[in-house]
Amino acid sequence: MDVAAERIDRLHDLARAAAADGEDDRARYYVRLARRVAERNRLELPRTFRRFTCDSCDAYLRPGTNARVRLQDGHVVVTCDCGSHARYPYDG
Amino acid sequence: MALTPETLPRHELNGLPVRVVDSDDDGRVGLEGRVVIETTNTLSIEVRTDGESRVVTVPKSGSTFEFAITDEAADSTKESGTTSKLADTQPGGTERSAPSDSAGEGVAYVTVDGSRLLSRPARRTETNGDSPWQ
Repeated sequence: MDVAAERIDRLHDLARAAAADGEDDRARYYVRLARRVAERNRLELPRTFRRFTCDSCDAYLRPGTNARVRLQDGHVVVTCDCGSHARYPYDG
Repeated sequence: MALTPETLPRHELNGLPVRVVDSDDDGRVGLEGRVVIETTNTLSIEVRTDGESRVVTVPKSGSTFEFAITDEAADSTKESGTTSKLADTQPGGTERSAPSDSAGEGVAYVTVDGSRLLSRPARRTETNGDSPWQ
């Protein structure tokens, strides 16, 4: 794993810790920086990172705190406090 | 490539424990805390003193920082293969990352001249030259 991928991992952890401490803006800064590093190095963001961040406002999502997670027919809908929805499918 | 004293100037600085060893401004010498925000020219350090925390912005140029690297990174201080590559990517910066005085087990202190870190946070990791689109 090269430096860029590790940076993204560390930024993911930092964003999660900052969100847990209620430092929403700082978490957002880490999420944006991780996105920027991935973009500059042409890396795919880890799936957990994509599932736990808001595409439109870059917030780190904590289900129950600033995100709603609802199961619909065949897909999950994650609603951020900013109002944007993210959907992904599930089997079963 | 883990976070080693050699890779530190290219690696993520946010979250690392840091101490300001030397600064143009005497008031900033000795500040100790964690890096919380990095910009092109500054590091913001969160200093915790008995319960309350404050964030101090320290300019990179004119300061010398000492980062503490814990756990797995410390044992691989010997592999210096990346040093020459670092010198290529950031000419002008003085290589001062001396893996000096490892105090105790698993902690390495890396002293870095702030001018070596002058770069946009996301740009610092890249190894290519000025034009990455080739």
